[in-house]
Amino acid sequence: MSLEELSKFVEDGETEDAQALAEKLLKDGVNPLEMIAEMTRTMARVGDLFSKLEIFLPEIMLAGEALSGVVEVMAPYLEEVGGQEVKGKIVIGVVKGDLHEIGKNIVKLILETNGFEVKDLGYNVDPLTFIKEAEAMGADFIGASSLMTTTMPRQKEIIEILNAKGIRDQYKVVIGGAPTSQMWADQIGADLYCKDAKSAPELLTNLTQR
Amino acid sequence: MTTAYRHWEILERSQTGPFMDEDDFLPKHFTPTLKKLIKKYDIKYDPENPCPTDDAMADRIWQAAWELFRDVGYYNTDSHRLIQVTDEEIREALYMAHDQYWVGAGKDAVLWKHRQIEDMDPPFCIMSPDITCDEQYHQSICMAYLKEPLLDGICGPILEKTFGHLIESSGPSEISGCIQHITNQKLAARLLGRPGTFMVAVGTAEHDSGQIAVSDQEWGVQKSDARLVGSLTEFKTADTLLNRSLHYAQYGCFTGNLTGAIYGGWCGGSEGTAVTTVAYSLIGLVIHGAVFNQHFPFHLNYGSNTTRELLWSIAMAGQALARNSRLLHTSNGFANAGPMTEMLFRETAVHAMVSTVTGWHLWEMASTRNKYKNRATPLEARIGMEVGHAVARQGLSRAEVNDISKKLLAKYEDQAADAPIGCEYHECYDVAKAVPTQEHYDMYRRVKDEIADMGIEFPF
Ligand code: B12
Repeated sequence: MSLEELSKFVEDGETEDAQALAEKLLKDGVNPLEMIAEMTRTMARVGDLFSKLEIFLPEIMLAGEALSGVVEVMAPYLEEVGGQEVKGKIVIGVVKGDLHEIGKNIVKLILETNGFEVKDLGYNVDPLTFIKEAEAMGADFIGASSLMTTTMPRQKEIIEILNAKGIRDQYKVVIGGAPTSQMWADQIGADLYCKDAKSAPELLTNLTQR
Repeated sequence: MTTAYRHWEILERSQTGPFMDEDDFLPKHFTPTLKKLIKKYDIKYDPENPCPTDDAMADRIWQAAWELFRDVGYYNTDSHRLIQVTDEEIREALYMAHDQYWVGAGKDAVLWKHRQIEDMDPPFCIMSPDITCDEQYHQSICMAYLKEPLLDGICGPILEKTFGHLIESSGPSEISGCIQHITNQKLAARLLGRPGTFMVAVGTAEHDSGQIAVSDQEWGVQKSDARLVGSLTEFKTADTLLNRSLHYAQYGCFTGNLTGAIYGGWCGGSEGTAVTTVAYSLIGLVIHGAVFNQHFPFHLNYGSNTTRELLWSIAMAGQALARNSRLLHTSNGFANAGPMTEMLFRETAVHAMVSTVTGWHLWEMASTRNKYKNRATPLEARIGMEVGHAVARQGLSRAEVNDISKKLLAKYEDQAADAPIGCEYHECYDVAKAVPTQEHYDMYRRVKDEIADMGIEFPF
């Protein structure tokens, strides 16, 4: 039994088998930091397969669940060696009036499988709800998706409310969705625009390191 | 006869049906059921044949789709409950559905009839850019589509602004934009001398309120026209959507169900996309009382359906529906490339020929991944409809279409990911006259000749 086999279980979305094996490996003395590194490589591979559609949404979702299962098992061991690194906390949703949710769901998955903690607010979400949820979570990022020109102003409203509440600098606001653009992000003062889900983890990470 | 008489019982179930957490619905209920059915019915994608000839598999896909709808139900995201139906209700609805309807009004009315596989009757042709446009081009674009000879129905472009004001979702500007949309479209039809043309309207309406605001026999969407109600991907609805189907039925216009099963998403691959598409036709019929179903299955990454994995789904779903029901369904093309590119003309031609020979009616064409303002024109829709008419009149077989589509695919398939975005409407159309520029027309003519050389006999 090895880390490669653990990878395989995660890739195949076998949560229970993956958890059992992770437990065993850790008890046998495998370094949890090595294990997390292996898991990161696995998820990068799974993400890559998904971006080429060699696997589909349900499969990457199962792999993500298996990964969460393994992380749960690893938690006490990781703490011993100094804790696990969460890349960032984000609340994400589709803005008010907009029912297009598939893009947001993919972004959520990609972020989760890349080590972000994500709170999904769903779709048709009021601007104020984004903020309240971000406060409750202690989020680093607010992610707002808009698929229609008619709902893009709701992204701007999130930023306006943050300003009005005097808490604009506490959150990085990230926007996306087909009709949005870098130009729109600049215009409304968003911190980041992502054209797709694939680029999101790296761009978000860069933002926190600035 | 639509199934509107069952509306109240169906609606009641969205309050009383079994509860389910929305987070569980797709991963734990929809996808596992779909996967099981694909296995049970031995449904297999064949990349070699974008337009397969497989009656037995078509029937198995039909069966799988039926069971998918019956076993999964339809999820109301507002009540968090499943609307479930029985075999008997599905059978009843299929029995009651007419296989033909007169749509449009007066001299412009057209009889829209169910088609068979390899049917020699041409498809019913709905032309639509499927995108938003600048306010100043809206009237011209409506005109330009209405100038198309093969157009049986029109769905006009979507407005982003109304009198210079950005249309904001569910606000007064949405209502105003919706009224402006239908006014432009009806005026264009009147000026062109085809005032009774069948319309599917209005795409500018994002909410039930926007649709309700344009229901008017004199100046608005008439009873001889149709409206769409969308399904949320996959198998989900909401009260704002159910409001529409009820209103359409009570107002008395035709209802169409708008669905796009996503390849790569919860449906998985081509097999699941085909099964889900067929199931959506049953959902449209039974839940929404839809007279026709408007399907646009598309590729998660490309936002198109002109590559082989999607063509296969379209071809098989069409065959399943044609062989097993009397329903009306339109195949909505989504292309990678933009206007005035040879690639777009080829993509539309392939989408239209595969759809036509497998029993679909046509709805062309969402160009440029359905993403960019002003980037769709009637000329690509024209080539699609001309191909559809030719394929039917000529009596081409699925195998013949399969061969021709493979030749055309070879010319564009490797560019799907980075297709050219082409031109905007005003760069390849004379806006004042609503006709294509010479350069644009010449390109269309060139590709049409190329396709004719492959064995398509255009009627004119
Ligand atoms: C599928 C679809 C639908 C489905 C939605 C199903 C669902 N539950 O999601 C249905 C049929 C229900 C639908 C309905 C409608 N739709 Co629609 N729809 C689309 C379509 C074709 C694809 C959207 C999609 O899912 N793409 C696939 C995903 C994977 O891509 P994506 O969403 O862009 O997301 C990616 C990136 O943008 C990015 N991203 C997205 N969000 C975020 C957020 C963050 C934080 C980050 C980092 C990244 C990020 O990452 C994602 C993954 O890479 C688009 C056209 C298009 N090409 O976008 C039209 C489109 C969005 N729809 C449109 C319209 C008009 C409508 C309707 C009004 C139609 C009608 N008249 O009824 C209704 C609106 C209902 C409402 N109130 O919301 C228009 C909007 C026009 C406008 N004003 O801007 C579009 C643009 C089509 C067009 N060109 O006209 N639609």
